[in-house]
Amino acid sequence: MIEADLLTMAYPPLLIFAAALLVLVLPRTLGFALGALSLASVVAISFLAPDGALLSGTFLGFADVQPFYIDEFTRMMGIALGFLGTFAVIYAYSSEATRQMTAIALAYVASAIGAAFAGDWLSLVFMWEIMALTSTLLVWNYGGDAVRAGYRYALAHGIGGSLVLFAVAAHYAQARTFVFGEGVEYADAVLAGGIAPGLPMLLAILGIGVNVAFVGFHTWLPDTYPRPHFAASVFLAAFTTKTSAYVLLRAVPEGNIYLAYMGGLMAVYGVVFALLQHDMRALLSYHIQAQLGYMVAGIGIGTTIGAAGAMGHLFNNVLYKSLLFMAVGVVIYRTKENDLYKLGGLWREMPLTAIAFFIGALSITAVPGFSGFISKGMVLDAAQGYFGGPEHTALFWLLFIGAIGTFLSFIKLGYYVFFHGESDREVRDSRPGQTTAMFTVGGACVVLGLPAIGWPIFTDLLPLIDGTQFAGPEGVEELTPYSVGHLEDAAILIAVSAVGFKLIRKPLSKMDYSDPALIVNPTGYHLGRTSMIAITDLYAAVDDAVVSFVTSCYWIGNNPALAVDETARRLPNWVVDVEDHRPADGGRPSTIHLRASIGLTVLLLTIILTIVLWLLVS
Amino acid sequence: MSNAELLLPLLVAVPILMAAVPIALGLWFDRTGWSVTALTTVGLFAATSYVAATVYETGREVHVLGGWEEPQGIGIELVADPFSALIVLLVTVTAAGLLAYTRTGGPRGNTFYAGYLLLVGGLIGLSLTGDVFNMFVFLEIVGLGTYAMISSGDGPESAVAALKYLILGTVGASLYLIGVGFLFMATGALNIEVLGTEAIPAIVEEGGSDLTLLRAAFAFIFVGFALKVAQWPLHTWQPDAYQHAPDGVTPLIAALVSTVSAYALGRVMFTAFGVEFLATTPYLQEIVVTVGAVSVVAGSTLAVVQQDVKRMFAYSSVSQFGLVIAAYGALTETALVGAIIHLIGHGVMKAGLFVAAGVIAISYGARTVDEYAGLAENRPLAAGSTAILLIALIGIPPSAGFIGKWYIAVGAIQAELWSIAAVIFLSTMLTLAYAARLLEKMYFTPATPVESPHPPGVATDGGEPNEGQESSSEHRTDGGVLANESRFERGSPDAVSLGMFILLVGIAISAVVLGFAGGLFFEWLEPFTSEVFN
Repeated sequence: MIEADLLTMAYPPLLIFAAALLVLVLPRTLGFALGALSLASVVAISFLAPDGALLSGTFLGFADVQPFYIDEFTRMMGIALGFLGTFAVIYAYSSEATRQMTAIALAYVASAIGAAFAGDWLSLVFMWEIMALTSTLLVWNYGGDAVRAGYRYALAHGIGGSLVLFAVAAHYAQARTFVFGEGVEYADAVLAGGIAPGLPMLLAILGIGVNVAFVGFHTWLPDTYPRPHFAASVFLAAFTTKTSAYVLLRAVPEGNIYLAYMGGLMAVYGVVFALLQHDMRALLSYHIQAQLGYMVAGIGIGTTIGAAGAMGHLFNNVLYKSLLFMAVGVVIYRTKENDLYKLGGLWREMPLTAIAFFIGALSITAVPGFSGFISKGMVLDAAQGYFGGPEHTALFWLLFIGAIGTFLSFIKLGYYVFFHGESDREVRDSRPGQTTAMFTVGGACVVLGLPAIGWPIFTDLLPLIDGTQFAGPEGVEELTPYSVGHLEDAAILIAVSAVGFKLIRKPLSKMDYSDPALIVNPTGYHLGRTSMIAITDLYAAVDDAVVSFVTSCYWIGNNPALAVDETARRLPNWVVDVEDHRPADGGRPSTIHLRASIGLTVLLLTIILTIVLWLLVS
Repeated sequence: MSNAELLLPLLVAVPILMAAVPIALGLWFDRTGWSVTALTTVGLFAATSYVAATVYETGREVHVLGGWEEPQGIGIELVADPFSALIVLLVTVTAAGLLAYTRTGGPRGNTFYAGYLLLVGGLIGLSLTGDVFNMFVFLEIVGLGTYAMISSGDGPESAVAALKYLILGTVGASLYLIGVGFLFMATGALNIEVLGTEAIPAIVEEGGSDLTLLRAAFAFIFVGFALKVAQWPLHTWQPDAYQHAPDGVTPLIAALVSTVSAYALGRVMFTAFGVEFLATTPYLQEIVVTVGAVSVVAGSTLAVVQQDVKRMFAYSSVSQFGLVIAAYGALTETALVGAIIHLIGHGVMKAGLFVAAGVIAISYGARTVDEYAGLAENRPLAAGSTAILLIALIGIPPSAGFIGKWYIAVGAIQAELWSIAAVIFLSTMLTLAYAARLLEKMYFTPATPVESPHPPGVATDGGEPNEGQESSSEHRTDGGVLANESRFERGSPDAVSLGMFILLVGIAISAVVLGFAGGLFFEWLEPFTSEVFN
């Protein structure tokens, strides 16, 4: 065990941030090595640090601030994010990522890990805002299309961040403290604390909802993640959403049944849209939403098994979703192609990448033997009401449909990219650093899911679970992921999906929107289609409005003189003086020739004074 | 009589007296203005620091002028308490620091520096004065100084802008004076201390016609200050003044003039009228909050559509002061502290942004948003400082902008004034919009060579001597060559002195460092706020 004093010095976000600065100045190899090392040290610190607040102090005049706080939740987050981050940096090194991009990525990782280690709402919200800023920079850094998407991303996260800020301020007004676990007490909570009930809770759920991509709030996700550099996508996919899901559990420790159904909805919605994608990274982005659906559902159910399952799924997701982004990134890197229908037969060309991809795919689809199987099983158990807690049949079916959809879309992605005829191009396989990163992360996915020996290591890592046991409402319960029932479920899932894919492959490739849910669940089809169209239209309308607003702002910004002259000419002359528009003199860009006259201002002054006097004196 | 108490009148008198020195010396020497001003402002800063340190211990220093014994209705006093000491510190630091810019950046000349010192003296007086009538006197002195500063620009636009401020500013100050008249009729007192502790509470308790007079007084004073602080739609003098003032002057005016006026409004509202009067008068709180909130939205919207960078920053000031006024209207301790922090923070950030605008105009020849393209590549230091200051202005932690907004938000939520919370939210979004526009231009748009106004060879024939053309274009040769040089080389980087850079980077750093000082401000202002909200 390391001395607590020493740990206080080693505040992880600071270490990573220092590494980010060094990456900018040091030679490339050394800089990246330091970056990876700093993240690896986060894993070590997470393992070794004792529980409790390791840093506390006064911030903005509030005494009870603990930016570096360790308990079983933050420990797990530190391990997951640090581990993935380490290999993401190695991956970026091999992927010709620039030093500038990696520095921004590290700053982003630092803020996400800072949010994960926060022990109070104030430091959390602080890191939350920095995370929004740094991730926007990471998107912008790529230039081109990514800039506009980054702008929309910034607006979405600006709104979400402000909502969370207000939630925290309102929480403080009620609870008089920022510290997690103090000031608020929920009866059935899985962990102490949470956001104060009422308005703060509503604001917090909405604000965090933007970050965890609630249906309707999710548009930034598939909009942004496919656009930047493919190594940047690996970072983006792992940190923002997962950290936010963890924060959601902190905020809503008691669960909420509407939240759980939102999770179910996200799972179905995400996979339906994932199935309809051409762009590989867009497909994976919709899967982030679907996977977050499982976490939100687990948190919403609010039982111990649900929360632990959500955390477990979060942990796995960090691993395999990034693994998938890495593998797809290699494909994009080598083929310069984003559209999966234009690829095929690549397993002969790049077998290592194919293997890595299938490890990730088998994990995310929860095939027995892989880590996703354990955690998804826990969430499904929670929905079915095993280990105590009420049964939510509808929710279970939503999640089950989500699982089938996941299966279908990954068969689709794998089939069209790596099989489906002969490859018409010759490309090399992944580079050594990429291979190392993919196989280490993939190895973790396999080891943590192995029957008998592997999975207890994984469950021991999870909060709320001690070894393979946990305290349910009816005494100590034992986890049994490899029970007959679970394996049967998995078998049904695989069989339905295999048959399903056979049936929908043709129509799907023609993209005539024959929804895969048609075969599986006719009701789901109609619901899905209506909401899909409604939300697509809404999104299109919002996007149109935003785009036209931005366009007109740009036009006004670029032609201020014309715009303002136009407006001003419609006003009577005594209101504003419109000078005649002079032709470009000396190449000086046109300036606004709009001046409210002195007389007008005095008139306004008189009017305002009259109103104020009337209101105050009468 | 303690040392600090003796220093108070000197703080006001010395700069005003010293203002005459450059002009007097100007009879014999050409360029003494800068040295005299530097000496004076640094001395003022040292004295202010000493006063501030004393105030920290004693909580309050009073100097009675003109033989009026305390406490009297018409006691003329200079008062230093935590609030005013903080503002005087800001004034002296800014005034001294900005000299690093004007040294080489101009404007030059002894008369300019005379005006500079006059303005500084007026600002310090306005901050320290303990009675409402002298507040008017200092308001006028500040006005005079400001007119002089603005009109020191060369060009008709500066003169027009100064004239506009002259007329509007005087009207605003006159409204204030009428308000003071009503106040005197109602209470028979002018001393802020007496007004706040005895005269006004007594009238509030009694009611009757005096209370009506008091309310009328507040209306006049508030509207007068709303103009001085540039609240929409009475802001019209401000964008012109900021844009057309010389680059060396804008930071001073932007950081201090409206700030000290806003301070004076806060002083009159909270120390003289008192929270009880403000809270019990119907509609008063709503009026103050509405004026502030409308300014926030209108100001930042106008900022978004600006093309000239200095004008954009000017409109941004309209919106930031709106936030301060709205925070005054919240009438809670936390929001008041937030308003004060935002006053200071905004002063620092705006000074920095206008210095940056000046530096960029000199070294890169860029004045509009479009011309800022590619700035990060070519002038990384100036672009970096601007970026930091803009991010601070948006209110992303850790920065001076964040703590101000944070305390205001907390205070507004405590008072359950959701409109203010919504306005902070909106202002953050809109600030993000115009800051992002500039950031994107600086960092993500490659520089385009500015097109020459006249194709080379037409305006200048320096390259190819041609007898036939010589006569026709002779008179244009000089101008043409100059224009071409400045266009193609994009400004003159060498004209930026080391002092300018140190000043700019220093301000950017302090905008970030102030972000950690929230608790410190709270503690420092404790004696003042606890007295107001006892």
